[in-house]
Amino acid sequence: MSIDLKNVDYVYDSGEPFEYFALRGISLHIDDGAFVGIVGRTGSGKSTLVEHLNGLLFSTRGDVFVDDEIVSNKRTVLAKVRRRVGIVFQYPEDQFFAETIFEEIAFGCRNYGFSKEQVDESVHKAMSIVGLDPERFLPLSPFQLSGGEQRRVAIASVIAMGQKYIVLDEPTAGLDSGSKLAVLAELESLRQTANVTVILVSHNMNEVAEFCKQVIVLDGGTVAFQGSTDAFFRDADLVDKTGLELPESYHLARALKECGSTLTVNECSTGRMLDSLRLCVSDQGGA
Amino acid sequence: MALSRSFVLGQHYPGTSVVHRSSALVKLVSTIVLMIGVFVATKTVQYVPIVLLLVAGIGVSRIPLRFFVRGLKPILFLIVLTVVVQIFFTPGTPIWQFWFIRVTREGLGLAGFILCRLVLLTLVSVLLTASTSPIELTDAVSDLLKPLSHIGVPSAEIALVMSIAMRFVPTILEETERIIRAQVSRGARIGEGSLVVRMKSFIPILIPLFVSSFRRADDLAVAMEARGFRVGSPRTRYHARHFQSFDAFILLGTAAALSGVILWRLFL
Repeated sequence: MSIDLKNVDYVYDSGEPFEYFALRGISLHIDDGAFVGIVGRTGSGKSTLVEHLNGLLFSTRGDVFVDDEIVSNKRTVLAKVRRRVGIVFQYPEDQFFAETIFEEIAFGCRNYGFSKEQVDESVHKAMSIVGLDPERFLPLSPFQLSGGEQRRVAIASVIAMGQKYIVLDEPTAGLDSGSKLAVLAELESLRQTANVTVILVSHNMNEVAEFCKQVIVLDGGTVAFQGSTDAFFRDADLVDKTGLELPESYHLARALKECGSTLTVNECSTGRMLDSLRLCVSDQGGA
Repeated sequence: MALSRSFVLGQHYPGTSVVHRSSALVKLVSTIVLMIGVFVATKTVQYVPIVLLLVAGIGVSRIPLRFFVRGLKPILFLIVLTVVVQIFFTPGTPIWQFWFIRVTREGLGLAGFILCRLVLLTLVSVLLTASTSPIELTDAVSDLLKPLSHIGVPSAEIALVMSIAMRFVPTILEETERIIRAQVSRGARIGEGSLVVRMKSFIPILIPLFVSSFRRADDLAVAMEARGFRVGSPRTRYHARHFQSFDAFILLGTAAALSGVILWRLFL
């Protein structure tokens, strides 16, 4: 089971003089249980791609498969696909409308016909996944929370539906650094405990290096790279060509190498780099 | 995108023709006068002077005809409804009869008259909004209302409110589409089911829209004040407009068309 795209084109205003290829010949594969990053400069087609995954947009040519089902605008297919793929859009707290946080999170569950007990259970579970105390928060209005708390409630309102694939479009935009890491760590634990596939659209390469094992790089509506995140960031030319930045840890590792340092560092993420540096330094101190 | 596409009435088609370049105030006055003319006419044939002027204007403006056809779409239902009502429910000499349905000569005539009236009114306003940018248009409204400010009408503020409202129509449409996408992804079914269910399904769209509009209004107010805007203080304009020879043409043409209609009605 997986999400696959085969030669997908998406053309805005097809056939008109201003027709514009937002996606061109996209083929990709997302494994079950993966934590995948989708990166690319502004206008590279990330958001358009994401909207294909649950049938908000339909490909002009080519097919999108969700668990071997071709996404089409047939009502039964759409219901099935949306039941499997949840999307957290940019600034998801803009969608709040309910009087209490409980109602807000329960909205999606009720739309999918959960029983009263199931709604209750899913809401509580989603709240604990995003690290908010249900007893304290559920009766409050979503509008009286801080920005970080609002973002978490918005994410909870999607993961409560228990979908197999969760797509998040810049879930950490506008959050303080503490909340950023916490939100991503919560998604990682969700992936591990519930085997949910997490697809993260992000501009923050440090986040991507830290959390995504695999990465899909878009450039001008085409797939410029698909594979292990580490392999991508080691190819500094490709990173530059696709208009992206190296994560800090890769910068540091390169700088060390250029100084002729013999330290062996793990540059996969800032955290792992610090650990490996400490190890090197204590080794040298010992010797 | 889909929503904003169907919103042609009140849309601008940028261009460089003389119609585009002539004064918005002149075009606005001319539009109002032509609309009065449309209501003055009592017979279909009396529309001829207005049609001539309109055809000339559309031709000179170089705006493609399909843009006008699209502008008619929003009122298509209204047109069909009134025409059908006029055809079947006007008493007079029957020319075709079947069971209780009857079509009269007077009915056909009246239907044609009403059809022309609605189409003309729409086309005249589409020509105005297509050839005039929203900003020029609000400036024109403000100029038109200026005499009223002597009797306490806040004409500059009215114009500002209008221009802000128009400026934010596309923004709010985009926002609406964004919210619809998000709620649909949460399993919302919009516009399905019984009437009550259908009405309720709009709540998750309308409330976020209100919330974000209020927030936007607050931000805009702060941004305007930060740049020195004060209510009631005089404002200058970036684009100063001068009267051009083609403006005189438009005014003369409009005056001729209106007098044509009036004379036709009185003497023919």
